[in-house]
Amino acid sequence: MLYNWNSNQASIKSNMVRAYKQEHVYKHPWERVTSASWRKFTDPENKRILSHVLEVDTLNWKLDRESGKLYTTRAVTVHAPGPWFIRKIIGQDICHCVESTVVDARTQSMQLTSRNISLQKFIEVEEKIRYHPHPDNPSEWTLCQQETSIRIKPLSALASMAEKIEQRCVEKFLQNSAKGREVMERICKYLEAESRGIAL
Amino acid sequence: MGFIKREKKASSSSTSTSPCAHLRAAYQNCFNRWYSEKFVKGQWEKEECVSEWQKYRACLSEHLDDKHLSRFLEAEIIPADLGNPVDGAAAGVPQ
Repeated sequence: MLYNWNSNQASIKSNMVRAYKQEHVYKHPWERVTSASWRKFTDPENKRILSHVLEVDTLNWKLDRESGKLYTTRAVTVHAPGPWFIRKIIGQDICHCVESTVVDARTQSMQLTSRNISLQKFIEVEEKIRYHPHPDNPSEWTLCQQETSIRIKPLSALASMAEKIEQRCVEKFLQNSAKGREVMERICKYLEAESRGIAL
Repeated sequence: MGFIKREKKASSSSTSTSPCAHLRAAYQNCFNRWYSEKFVKGQWEKEECVSEWQKYRACLSEHLDDKHLSRFLEAEIIPADLGNPVDGAAAGVPQ
């Protein structure tokens, strides 16, 4: 089944998996947008809006000096999704995710893949985000393509509540990705102003 | 009684890596500057922020108590895994 609830969001639902695609055009160049992406969770000013993100730590990184590729692995600690009684059942209120990023400076592409490593017994979330120059205006605009899949494990103790939880996760996810875009736009503006300041 | 509940685990706003917050901020500031001023402009032949990273990483290996996460700290990054990470995100598994 394919639902459309606005022009740039689509969801495909099969069994217990929900997959979402979203697209967003940033009217800022790729260099700025990807710089903003690194700052999204770590700038203290955004902590209030992105309050579900508790901690972001870089676990590893590697620069390939031959090809201009940067690889990083970060740990993202978030509040466990769902209502309080779910947290009670699963026995923890935080969830660790691992985010792997590849940035190719030569071809101007950034790809982030995040998945949860805790609570895997109950839920699996995978999010892929790609940033690349927009084909219509490559030097000024950036296209962000985001794919998310959320799977509730049918054998979990939560099976009977799974549908509801899944819906909550979906709502939460859509709210959070809207907040994420808002933060990204703001950082881009800030970086734009900063680069003008330097250029003067 | 009523107040016994309160002493459950440390508050969720502080996690195990909080003691590294200062070193983390130093590394992130350095990285962000390097990324936007050098890396995206084609100057990637020199690795920077190395001392900031080493201090931050040392702190992480001391405080990171989640064993799933500390695996990543020790593992070599294998580029092939990053585009399409394997279940359980096994960064150390040879292809």
